[in-house]
Amino acid sequence: MTRTMLGDEIASHAERLVPGSVARAEAGACFLRLETLRETMEALRTDPATDLLHLTNLCGVDYWDHFEVVYHAQSFDKNQLACIKAETYDHDAPVVPSVTPVWFGAWMQECEAYDLLGITFEGHPRLYRIFLWDGYPGFPLRKDFLSMPGGLQPGLSEFAGVAPRQEPPRRAVQ
Amino acid sequence: MTSAIKSEPFILNIGPQHPSTHGVFRVKVTVDGERILDAEMVMGYLHRSMEKLAEERTYTQNIPFTDRTDYLASMSNNLGYCLAVEKLAGVEVPERGQAIRVIMAEFQRLASHCMAVGAFTNDTGAWQTPVMWCFREREKVLDLFEMTSGARLTCNYMRIGGVAFDLRKEFEPAARKLLASFPPFIDEMEELLVGNEIFLTRTRGVGVLSHERAANCSLVGPMLRGSGIAWDIRKADPYSGYEKYDFDIPIGYQGDSFDRFIVRLEEMRQSVKIIRQALDGLPGGPHSTQVPLALRPPKGEAYARVEGPRGELGYFVVSDEGPSPYRFHIRAPSFINLSALREMTVGGTVADAIVVLGSIDIVVGEVDR
Repeated sequence: MTRTMLGDEIASHAERLVPGSVARAEAGACFLRLETLRETMEALRTDPATDLLHLTNLCGVDYWDHFEVVYHAQSFDKNQLACIKAETYDHDAPVVPSVTPVWFGAWMQECEAYDLLGITFEGHPRLYRIFLWDGYPGFPLRKDFLSMPGGLQPGLSEFAGVAPRQEPPRRAVQ
Repeated sequence: MTSAIKSEPFILNIGPQHPSTHGVFRVKVTVDGERILDAEMVMGYLHRSMEKLAEERTYTQNIPFTDRTDYLASMSNNLGYCLAVEKLAGVEVPERGQAIRVIMAEFQRLASHCMAVGAFTNDTGAWQTPVMWCFREREKVLDLFEMTSGARLTCNYMRIGGVAFDLRKEFEPAARKLLASFPPFIDEMEELLVGNEIFLTRTRGVGVLSHERAANCSLVGPMLRGSGIAWDIRKADPYSGYEKYDFDIPIGYQGDSFDRFIVRLEEMRQSVKIIRQALDGLPGGPHSTQVPLALRPPKGEAYARVEGPRGELGYFVVSDEGPSPYRFHIRAPSFINLSALREMTVGGTVADAIVVLGSIDIVVGEVDR
């Protein structure tokens, strides 16, 4: 059975490896500071006590005022899973350091989070809109997508800036 | 005299409409002569924004969505999602429900691996005959699904707290009959392909990935096991009572396309073994617990994963005590397995790139979601 690491446990390992890297710890997750995120991740990956060799899942969550990036990393030998988080409070232009240099598997998942949530991953080799086309208005997984500038208006099926569809001419009632 | 022949790199589009991309997926390869210099993936042709759609629907209404992500493994997707919601809401599944889930998920693996093996041999140039044989066997599995859930492809069979219906009384004899005919079919496929010189030359040493790179690229499933890492969620993190069944994890040694193929073939044998054990020990009792239709799980988040046919399939669900998920994220195995495509194809030929793509076994519905 995979052991899910407690937040405090990850925090103590992270604090031991990179002092001052932990923002806070919750029951099941550890929040890391953005400034030292990448080196902490690298240390957690290589340290024999944590051995988080495999990044399983990376996704972003929009909480209206801030974004959370959730990393699930696991160790094959120790059979343990850690939930690590990073949060950014700049809701208009969220920036989080990229972990692609640590785990190459983050490459596409970070592109996905950028495409759908608009989180910029600093240091990513090539961040681009992986599913949607360039120039797509707004970021669809954001909670305020419908009221974003240039986004879709509720109830309309056209993009802003595109001429609305002409209504069919109505015939006068005889 | 030095060679006066000069070649210039040019861009070749494989896909989006190409039989070997297994859907609408495009690889833009830069080739110099026959060698690939660069490969760029272009995806999103099938993007339906399921994660956003799921935020507007109740937990139960989201189950049919999960069918349509990986449409070749709808049972496994149902199972992963239901496990995540059950973890979030603290719902226990009765033993019979768990056993039925295992049977269905393993039959789904048989059907999906049939498709994967058949399409892969098609890509290597074994034109049509093996794929039609595989389709013939897959049809029989789909007949069982139709008997149980009423649908063949998008089954929508699992529910939060169990499964939708109990098994019909015709199911067990039909399943046993199919299980009896499956191992000879796998042996036949193996004999047909592994003894074939052309197939071996086309697949051995093509798309080699070391186990360090496989782990670093977040690969899962047969891709990871083909590179020599014995990691299977069914063993490592058992769910739905997998710890009760006796089965092995096949691994490869070279990490090439052939190893991934042979791992899939061997996994089919192990699946047959698991289904036999599950049918023998099928407990009685209810198949499902009563869960309120408008489920409102407590505030929190849950990440549950299953070993789907393509690897670790995870669902990350966040609840804010509302009737629908606050955030719904699918950790899609075939999407993340693609991150190794570039380094496996660069330096090889275009014909090898097709084989490598076939060995990843992508389902574009899941890649794009």
